[in-house]
Amino acid sequence: MKKKVLSIVLSAVMVASVFAGCGKKEDVPADSTEESTVEESSAGEDTDAETPSEDEEAPATALDISEPVTLRWYLHGSNVTDDSAVMEKVNEYLGEKLNVTLEPIWGTWADFDEGSTLAINGGDDIDIYFTCSWSANEYNQFAKKGAWVRLDDPENNLIEQYGSDVWAALPDVLKEGAVIDGTDGVGVYALPGYKDYGTQNTWDVNVTLLEELGYSLSDVESRDYYSFGDLLQAAKDAKGDDFYPLNIEAMVLERMVTNSVIVNGDAGTCNVLSYYIDPTDVSKDIGSKIVSKFGTEEFKKFAEQTREYYLAGYIDPAQANAQTANDVLTSKQLAGDYLIGTQSYALGYEVQASADRGIHVEFVPCTPPYVDKTSTQGAMMAISTASKNPERAMAFLNLLNTDPYLMTLLEYGVEGVHYNLNGEGLVEFTDERANYTPWRNGMGNITLLPTMDGEGDSNFFQEVFVPYYESAKGIPAFGYVFDPTSVETELAALANVAGQYAMSLCAGSVDPETALPEFLQKLEDAGMQKVIDEANAQLDAYFAQ
Amino acid sequence: MSKTNSAVKKPSKMKSASKKKTLMLTTMVLPGAIWLLLLRYLPLGGIIMAFQDYKIYTKAPSFINNLKNSAFVGFKNFKFLFATSDTWVMVRNTLGYNLVFIVLGLVISVAFAVMLNEVTHKFAAKTYQTLMFFPYFMSWVVASYFLQAFLDPTRGLIPHMQSNMGVTVTDFYNNTKPWPFLLVLCNVWKNTGYSVVLYLSAITGIDASQYEAASIDGASKWQQVLYVTLPHLKTMIIILFIMNVGKIFNADFGLFWNVPLQSGPLYPVTQVIDTYVYRAMTTTQNYGMSTAAGLVQNIVGFVCIMTANTIVRKVDPDSSLF
Amino acid sequence: MAKSQAMGGRKRRINAVSVPTEIIIHIVMILFCLLCIVPFIFVIIISFTSEESIRALGYSFVPQSLSTAAYKVVFDLGEMLYRAYFNSFYITILGTVLSVLVCVLYSYALFRRDYKYRTFFTFFSFFTMLFGGGLVPTYIVCKQLLGLSDNYAALIVPLLVNPFNFIIMRTFFASSVPEELIEAASIDGSGEYNTLFRIIVPISKPGIATIALLNALAYWNEWYTAMLYVPNDNKHIPLQYLLMRLQRNVDNLKKMAAQMGAEASKMMKDMPSQSMRMALVVMVVIPIAFAYPFFQRYIIAGLTVGSVKG
Repeated sequence: MKKKVLSIVLSAVMVASVFAGCGKKEDVPADSTEESTVEESSAGEDTDAETPSEDEEAPATALDISEPVTLRWYLHGSNVTDDSAVMEKVNEYLGEKLNVTLEPIWGTWADFDEGSTLAINGGDDIDIYFTCSWSANEYNQFAKKGAWVRLDDPENNLIEQYGSDVWAALPDVLKEGAVIDGTDGVGVYALPGYKDYGTQNTWDVNVTLLEELGYSLSDVESRDYYSFGDLLQAAKDAKGDDFYPLNIEAMVLERMVTNSVIVNGDAGTCNVLSYYIDPTDVSKDIGSKIVSKFGTEEFKKFAEQTREYYLAGYIDPAQANAQTANDVLTSKQLAGDYLIGTQSYALGYEVQASADRGIHVEFVPCTPPYVDKTSTQGAMMAISTASKNPERAMAFLNLLNTDPYLMTLLEYGVEGVHYNLNGEGLVEFTDERANYTPWRNGMGNITLLPTMDGEGDSNFFQEVFVPYYESAKGIPAFGYVFDPTSVETELAALANVAGQYAMSLCAGSVDPETALPEFLQKLEDAGMQKVIDEANAQLDAYFAQ
Repeated sequence: MSKTNSAVKKPSKMKSASKKKTLMLTTMVLPGAIWLLLLRYLPLGGIIMAFQDYKIYTKAPSFINNLKNSAFVGFKNFKFLFATSDTWVMVRNTLGYNLVFIVLGLVISVAFAVMLNEVTHKFAAKTYQTLMFFPYFMSWVVASYFLQAFLDPTRGLIPHMQSNMGVTVTDFYNNTKPWPFLLVLCNVWKNTGYSVVLYLSAITGIDASQYEAASIDGASKWQQVLYVTLPHLKTMIIILFIMNVGKIFNADFGLFWNVPLQSGPLYPVTQVIDTYVYRAMTTTQNYGMSTAAGLVQNIVGFVCIMTANTIVRKVDPDSSLF
Repeated sequence: MAKSQAMGGRKRRINAVSVPTEIIIHIVMILFCLLCIVPFIFVIIISFTSEESIRALGYSFVPQSLSTAAYKVVFDLGEMLYRAYFNSFYITILGTVLSVLVCVLYSYALFRRDYKYRTFFTFFSFFTMLFGGGLVPTYIVCKQLLGLSDNYAALIVPLLVNPFNFIIMRTFFASSVPEELIEAASIDGSGEYNTLFRIIVPISKPGIATIALLNALAYWNEWYTAMLYVPNDNKHIPLQYLLMRLQRNVDNLKKMAAQMGAEASKMMKDMPSQSMRMALVVMVVIPIAFAYPFFQRYIIAGLTVGSVKG
């Protein structure tokens, strides 16, 4: 009998909770219409309201901050388990400045793509999203799908009204990079973060081993990929059969050797399109055309050479499988178990790499640093069209990217708790930092930050970082971004074909004699030509502008 | 006794009793039914996405508004499934592997359940059954590491042995031949424990007196299995079979993605519909396309399941699904 | 109970397979069980292998050197780890009880041939096994409509019903419950709920235990719902997701490495080592493996005891 009662109670509870849910359902559409009217009316107020702001640091146009607002902010790459101490300080500060309460959602590498795309597609109540050109290319994809507010919309220019300070502080190249074609025309759909924005592919050289073999760094510098053979053989002879001197990330190796550049909007990890640059002067126009990456003579030559190296035992076969390649790459790097490797460079990395690996590491550049669309869209902040307070969101971003106190607080945590400044004014982290480690490059303007210990001296950002990236030149088709909407079907098929052959060819695990023609035929069958034609038509249109 | 009783009752009373019975049974169904309604039927509206160029309605973004304001594009989202010369390969692999998995899974699991039932040491039976379940706990990623320890071209156990013995070393991750066998083996390894439990608990429902009766009639152990155990398991076998047939167009993504380490040269024997769609999604991020692919898989599954069920119903109405 | 078990044991011995047959059965079982358990032993070995050894030899049954570093890293999660263990147990226990209850109720009605809407509700549940609206709409319903976000319900409700289990349970009922039993109960004036819980449930223990086992496994192993509905909530995070997140951090960084360049290499360095990934598997499997015999008691014990007719 007891069981009977229990079961009835349980089912009653369930029914009740379900009805409660149904009640909510009716609320949803009502809510959303309300939202839209609120949004419209507040936008209207802003244009005619002339209330001067009491705060000097407040943005250019008067912002109505009489109502308290909560901003929800979706970030990427975080490792945060306890943000209470930081958020308390942040919200105290933001409450004073903007009457804003900040509620960060600490997305991780593990869940950002799935979590954020679901939230965007479902219209979740989130104001600001991290976005970029790589993770799942959220920036370009969702600008076309209507997820982002156009920030420089002529009718309601949020940047001009509330973001002029940060806009003035950004390098021009980042601003240009942010311009894309979205639902409200060509414009800026997210605020670019000021982080390393140049691309530079380098040979990662184990100088310690190189010198053991009787060579010097200049022997690598004077050679190119096609003439590495004797160096690699010397290492192989010295270290034995189980040693693979060439430590590669296959897809990067191909770009380094053939001087090709990723076409933004192309088929994900296995790109099928290529755009070539002149390795001596990256900004020089060498007859800009987009081609099928694998159909060129240059690629054939590369694939044949790589095959030769593979057969000679210079490349670990495990690096030909997508699943294992990066584990192997990383563990060989950390063990210093290689002679020459591939690495896309970030400023100052040789110091850190040498320390991590316990060997002397130098990076030999293949090209000067260059800027393309993909690299400028590395870390951006977009305001969601679902945001009820886009003005306040912009004002927050403006403050964040111009106010060293706020930026440092959010990036490094609370001074004295998460970090301390040492005698030279460098940041030294405490153990507490383990509970609060946002992804530094994923938040905004990192040049506002104090330098970390080991990164350089206290003027690192202003004296080294900024000039280095300012020296990076844009490639000829810098502003171009490929819009794949009309060829999505073909790209879906091409991604699969490329998945089958590209990596194996670039790592040399299959014979290009037989595999390459087969590959090209399959690409052709999957509509390669249509994609190239579409990309070139768009490129021509871009140059015609 | 029951007949006389019910005959005495007035028809109206009988009616109200049967009404009450229906009502009580319906209250039992209700919690599950409401759950299904909310979490399964309500989202079905999303299938529209398969025919849409899904866009966010910028003025008031909510899922319903987005759906309402997105343009219909007909069957455009389905095209990518047929845009490649490999369509046949992935369909063949999906169907082929699934058929083998269904048949082999059934035979092995039933055989193991019957065998376990005959083990006289209960402790041994328990131990076997527990151990069999272990693979079910392990993700395909972990399984792939394990297999790699054997097959890895440079450090694996098998290539190592081969080179020690002076035989030519097999390059497993570049050679399609062993993979159909390996994938089937992996599937059996992982799922046998699960289905054995189902069959085993179905066997426990058999009345011991049936075996005794058979034994007294002089039936050998083998005959007892044939004439007592298997007929009793029939319903479970058929139900599991029908339900597996419904998933014939859906491959086990984790198996085909992780275990061959996504090695390109193995695609001809490892590419299945689910891996193709996944790779396509990493490129386009178009939910319409994945919804479309899912719809195709489900419709095929639905047709198969209905066919199987109709056949079963004709032959043995008691075992059919509905 | 004990008496009937003993009796059952004796009967079985009289009517047992021949000794050679049983030896063959044992050999087959032992071989297959080795196949099943060796990979797990392998996982345990690797979890205790030092990183240097993995770099030098790869995954190997005979590592160069041992280390407990991987477990140290996991235990360094400290309070969060214990919290996650608690959450996982809580979710699994409550979820299993509720889902078994829903399942037994639903499938019992389906099992009753005299139930008027039997066919309708069978199809009603079966249909959802094949057709789903997909991820986005389900997410919207759960999160925005039902408020399943950052609470325990978000981890329990989405897995509450599995139509597959309904049909399995119905099959169990059909094969173990004689229909005369229900008729007899009904004549005795027993109400439907009374009949189900007093008469049917006790004789369906093996089936219910099986379903409970499957549900418990499903709840214990689930991490995807946690990723969707409690991604940022360390209070409710279950063990599987906590550990899966560490693993997936590495996987996704790898996927993006080609585009992220040095940034990714820098971060990968600090990511869980390969031995740690195995340690995570061990941490997840051990508790549920210990819980297994609890369910098994009903499944295997039933082997010797036939159902008792009323």
